[in-house]
Amino acid sequence: MMQRSLSLTLVGVTLTAGLGLAAAAPAPLAQERDRQQVLERLLRRYDLDLDGTISEEEFPRSRRAFRRLDRDRDGALTRADFAPRDPSTGAAPGDEAGGAASDADAAFFEERVLPILEKECYSCHSSGTRRLKGDLRVDSRASLLAGGATGPAIVPGDLDASLLIEAVRYEDPIFAMPPREALPDEAVRDLERWVEMGAPWPSAADDVHGTEAQVVEDLAGSPALDREIDLEEGRQAWSFQTPTPHEAPDVADADWAWTDVDRFLLAAMEERGVEPVEDADRRTWLRRVTFDLTGLPPTPEEIDAFVGDGAEGAYERVVDRLLASPAVGERFGRHWLDVARYGESSGKQTNIVYPHAWRYRDFVIDAVNADMPYDEFLRKQIAGDLLEAEDADERAENLVATGYLAIGPKSHNERDPRQFAVDLVDEQIDAMSQGVIGLTLSCARCHDHKFDPVPIEDYYALAGIFMSTETRFGTRATLGNRRAADLIDLPEGADVAFGPTMDSELRRFLDRTRRRLNRSQEMSPKTSGDEPLDRLKKRVENDQIDVIGDLLERFDESGRANAKNRLAMGAVDGIARDIAVLERGELDRPGDVVPRGFPQVLDGEWAPEIESGSGRLELSEWITDPQHPLTARVWVNRVWLHLFGAGIVRTPDNFGAGGMAPDHPELLDRLAHDFVAGGWSTKSLVRELVLTHAYRLASSDDESSAAVDPEAVTRWRMPDRRLEAEAIRDAMLVVSGTLDPERPVGSPTGAIEGTIRREELADYLTRERPVRSIYLPSLRGHLVDALDVFDAPDSAFVCGDREETSVATQALYLMNDADVVRLADAFAERVMREADSERARIERAFELAVGREPSRREKKAVSRFLADFKKLEPSKSSTSSSRRGRRRARESELARPKTVEHAAWSAFAQTLFQSAEFRAIG
Amino acid sequence: MHESIRPSRRDALRLLSSGFGMLALRGIAGAAPQTSPLAPKAAARAKRVVFLCMSGAPSHVDTFDHKPGLVKRDGATLSGYRRGAKLMASPWKFLPSGKSGLMISELFPALREQADEMCLLRGMYTDVPAHPQAFAKLHTGSFQFVRPSLGSWSLYGLGTENENLPGFVTLNPPSRNGGAQNYGSAFLPATYQGLPIGLQRSGRRRSGDGSGPVDDIRNPRMTREQQRAQLDLLEKLQREHARREGGNDDVEAVIQSYELAFRMQSDLPDLLDLGSESKKTLDAYGIGDDETDQFGRQCLIARRMAEAGVRFIEVGMGGWDHHRRLREDLPAKCREIDRPIAALLADLKRSGLLDETLVIWGGEFGRTPYAQNGDGRDHNNRGFTTWMAGGGVKGGTSYGATDENGIEAVEGRTSIHDWHATILHLLGLDHERLTYPYAGREFRLTDVHGEVVRDILA
Repeated sequence: MMQRSLSLTLVGVTLTAGLGLAAAAPAPLAQERDRQQVLERLLRRYDLDLDGTISEEEFPRSRRAFRRLDRDRDGALTRADFAPRDPSTGAAPGDEAGGAASDADAAFFEERVLPILEKECYSCHSSGTRRLKGDLRVDSRASLLAGGATGPAIVPGDLDASLLIEAVRYEDPIFAMPPREALPDEAVRDLERWVEMGAPWPSAADDVHGTEAQVVEDLAGSPALDREIDLEEGRQAWSFQTPTPHEAPDVADADWAWTDVDRFLLAAMEERGVEPVEDADRRTWLRRVTFDLTGLPPTPEEIDAFVGDGAEGAYERVVDRLLASPAVGERFGRHWLDVARYGESSGKQTNIVYPHAWRYRDFVIDAVNADMPYDEFLRKQIAGDLLEAEDADERAENLVATGYLAIGPKSHNERDPRQFAVDLVDEQIDAMSQGVIGLTLSCARCHDHKFDPVPIEDYYALAGIFMSTETRFGTRATLGNRRAADLIDLPEGADVAFGPTMDSELRRFLDRTRRRLNRSQEMSPKTSGDEPLDRLKKRVENDQIDVIGDLLERFDESGRANAKNRLAMGAVDGIARDIAVLERGELDRPGDVVPRGFPQVLDGEWAPEIESGSGRLELSEWITDPQHPLTARVWVNRVWLHLFGAGIVRTPDNFGAGGMAPDHPELLDRLAHDFVAGGWSTKSLVRELVLTHAYRLASSDDESSAAVDPEAVTRWRMPDRRLEAEAIRDAMLVVSGTLDPERPVGSPTGAIEGTIRREELADYLTRERPVRSIYLPSLRGHLVDALDVFDAPDSAFVCGDREETSVATQALYLMNDADVVRLADAFAERVMREADSERARIERAFELAVGREPSRREKKAVSRFLADFKKLEPSKSSTSSSRRGRRRARESELARPKTVEHAAWSAFAQTLFQSAEFRAIG
Repeated sequence: MHESIRPSRRDALRLLSSGFGMLALRGIAGAAPQTSPLAPKAAARAKRVVFLCMSGAPSHVDTFDHKPGLVKRDGATLSGYRRGAKLMASPWKFLPSGKSGLMISELFPALREQADEMCLLRGMYTDVPAHPQAFAKLHTGSFQFVRPSLGSWSLYGLGTENENLPGFVTLNPPSRNGGAQNYGSAFLPATYQGLPIGLQRSGRRRSGDGSGPVDDIRNPRMTREQQRAQLDLLEKLQREHARREGGNDDVEAVIQSYELAFRMQSDLPDLLDLGSESKKTLDAYGIGDDETDQFGRQCLIARRMAEAGVRFIEVGMGGWDHHRRLREDLPAKCREIDRPIAALLADLKRSGLLDETLVIWGGEFGRTPYAQNGDGRDHNNRGFTTWMAGGGVKGGTSYGATDENGIEAVEGRTSIHDWHATILHLLGLDHERLTYPYAGREFRLTDVHGEVVRDILA
């Protein structure tokens, strides 16, 4: 029993192999099986480099214990050290001698035997099962011969030696199988007969592991899927060259070009023979720049002031005013959150809430508002925990920034901790490589990259850095959450918000639930805890009690978050190590261990060496090195995209060979170069771009230019753009006068823990709140409807360029959604309050909603509509067929309009929300 | 140069009669051909399409591509492919099915009974063994560029048969693999975009699961007359604005989307309400059984949409990416679709609708006959199987073949462009003449490729 107790002390996990068949195990055989499991467990815990063996360095226990385990003295714990001592006691896997089957045998097997095995045994004893019992698989002959924890399940031709037969005969009550009910006698006889026949198993039905390999000749005309990567050639690609500061070209129409950006653009236009259209009028430009920089519409007062400002520098003054507004952080911060795949829950199968994710969101918004240099912004997110900090505040900020690595989607129900770890790392690499350097490095996880010069080794060099990192994503381990982690305690003395306030409704609900659970626990008879169902129920309830307890501990009686809520998601250094290349990404196919490092094609002389620690600090330096060819280009392109509607590279997340080439490569180079040389200031870049002549252009069409350049790649016109989901919603709130512009403390998600299993919870969290859309909860899979319907991303992956659909569901939303109707009501009330005459009210509504006066015809149409509408039959009572409709109706009775007058004005106000003009920026 | 298909006067009149009024007609006439349906020129065999789209790429050698040789070579190492790639015989038997004796996997006990309706295309291939690219290719014919989807082209070519419903509906489309691009209209006018009902997202599904009611389908306050008055005002304001600001195509698209939404309010809830279906029908589709409930509902809704005149109905089913656990997961997946699809075919046949409805089944590529993880299969773009039924194809036949192992399409090789060309042909549309002017030239779904697979035409 030495091995067993060793494993217990080493691993600290109770072995479960004793369940099932092992219950009546002959002791020595059970031990042999256990040995394999011991290795598995040791590997899970100590095989840091994933190479399938445990070296002495990896083994943290005593030297003596290691020597004892390392039976073959090769300096590593391998499968050989844990193999059964005497293979002759069981048929070795791969023994196919008796497996060949005649047709009659095969028919007997397939008709009589296989169905029994499949129906009765596979759920616990096959390779596909989630809960393999007794380490026994019966889905191939080889695995039956090899047997499980208690030894070979069959010995062909020998009924008495075949444990399978013993089990199905139901002689020994402990050892009987299947566990619930004995097989019919006929089935038992079939199995007996089959074993007597020599257990024929036609190879077609067999598992490939056990079959003998034969080599098939090369198939003619089938080129290998593998291709050699030529790094030298790969380095020649445009995006791997450090940007050079090209001189702006000469242009014929020098007066038109105000800035170097204009000169680059105009030169291309002149070359292609297209002409820039006329300038946009002041209203259009103001609406454009106000939405682009703040995500909000200009107020009528701002419009009047600008239109009337004839003095020199009026445009510059507007831009400076806007750039000073905290709304810039909420606008460009959201752009970054798209790239950072920001979400407040894990998504995937279990969807567990991340109640502290909002700190990262706020960090991003604050960083944009403070115009934190982009390189510093990245360094903090990748390695904030490793950076020097001046004081506790900065230290807290740095730690919160590393939330970037922790907020991604995760499978919390993954059983295998190593699988979880490599998946987590893959997600981090995917987010960082696409988001920051515009490469799809995750493609090299299973094989060399198909398009880019990135061999699989490069992926694992990078993965080593993240494997050496401890990602602290929090959550509490429960029955449904197998993978929980710590969080980061924010430093003492740092000035950080405690968190959101739990509303009293939620507080009462949690108290009630806890009382109910406690009662249920007390009432359940303690003695009958043997029933599996009771035990399960008890565990689930205990989990719930714990989760609620965890949560309530962080809030005081009045619902305010307390000091215990000074927690953040993030990352810290773990055990530094290099890891093995995993062939095809599979854990059981480890190859060579590769040193931590950066993709070779980008590993220039300027790249730092990783000497100690995880290498994350060096990674952050590498990424933000002024000579890195991609980082600045990718970011400049993203900023450009958000101002001009399409990137210079139209695939903003892919600058590799699978992406598109830049349509103005020299301009992109120059912008990237200047951006770095000028101190990585995003606000300066934005200012430069919106003050170009190109950005001033109208969005009007021109036939001759369109014939040459229909997509306006040369930027001869500004595109017609649709507002993003957030801006549409925020504009409705602003216009109706209901927006609370203050940033709420935390997120509603911050007062929740556990799984979003029930719709009610998602409904509660995503209910309408009058805050800017960026502050609504970003639950994966449960987007707020107003955002979902207008193509907000689901934050499952990096999204540098949102989709822009125009479908009837959007029309339905704007026609019928209770929130929209309510906002229209508020808008109508506002207009009726702020102006007296019908005419003045109509004018006010247009000014607020679309920033212009209505035409005479428009006024007439509205006026007639108001009169006609009032004559129509009054409204019906509300019945909604949709779940959401019912919920909303319950949440706050969507009151009938107060008066016929108000109903008519509200209906008109709603048409302004519905109009194409409302959601368009020309 | 071929003559491009232009809208017929009859189609314009049909649109006129649908309630837009004179103002609307002016808008449309001005924008022609951008917003006008086109008349089919070839003899149409099918009037509509039901595309059962299996995202993730189903394994052909375990479903519809019978490879007896694989059994013999089970476990054999393949050189020329991935290092150590070992062939893996299908764990499931193939059985002769129907009068035609088509060999179909035992994983489809119900569908096998419809074998005589099915035409297997066993020589399919596509460009890239990566999901997003191949999925976009399957839907739009291109993975480099944003192009209109097959459904949009079909609707553009044929127009709609029911003004109260969208002409192109996609039930439960995946949010990944290109997302909306796969039902997008790209440079075709926005009215030809597919309407997604239910999205495969990680948790809840937008607008229900593609089988429930659609959100916001009723106004919580206004009567129909009031809402009509509201939309009339909206349209007046839109057009007035467009008139002054110069023609904005977008305005017309927006108006049409409101008009469609308005009309959908009356028809769509009824269409999605399966309450009027008999118990027998619900049972046949597997509605009420855990495994088949969702896809069963979607298939039944697809039938109802086909009856109601929706031109292109795509029904999405994800989860075919069986890199591991093939033995457990593939049969489960097949069970989810087997009865629903069989019921759909039987139902359409019974009502006579199958003759004029083209049912297509397929994913973005196939899977390798060699094993991955011992119990899984990898991506294979070089050979796979799709099938068609009804609408002018020869039932009970198979066309094309992969090599003896099922890796490479060797006979009757059918590219995605060929496949598109064939589908359009069955709809009575010549893929070389169904074009749209954009960026200075005429674009088509099949670019400069595509040949109609004539051997499968009935």
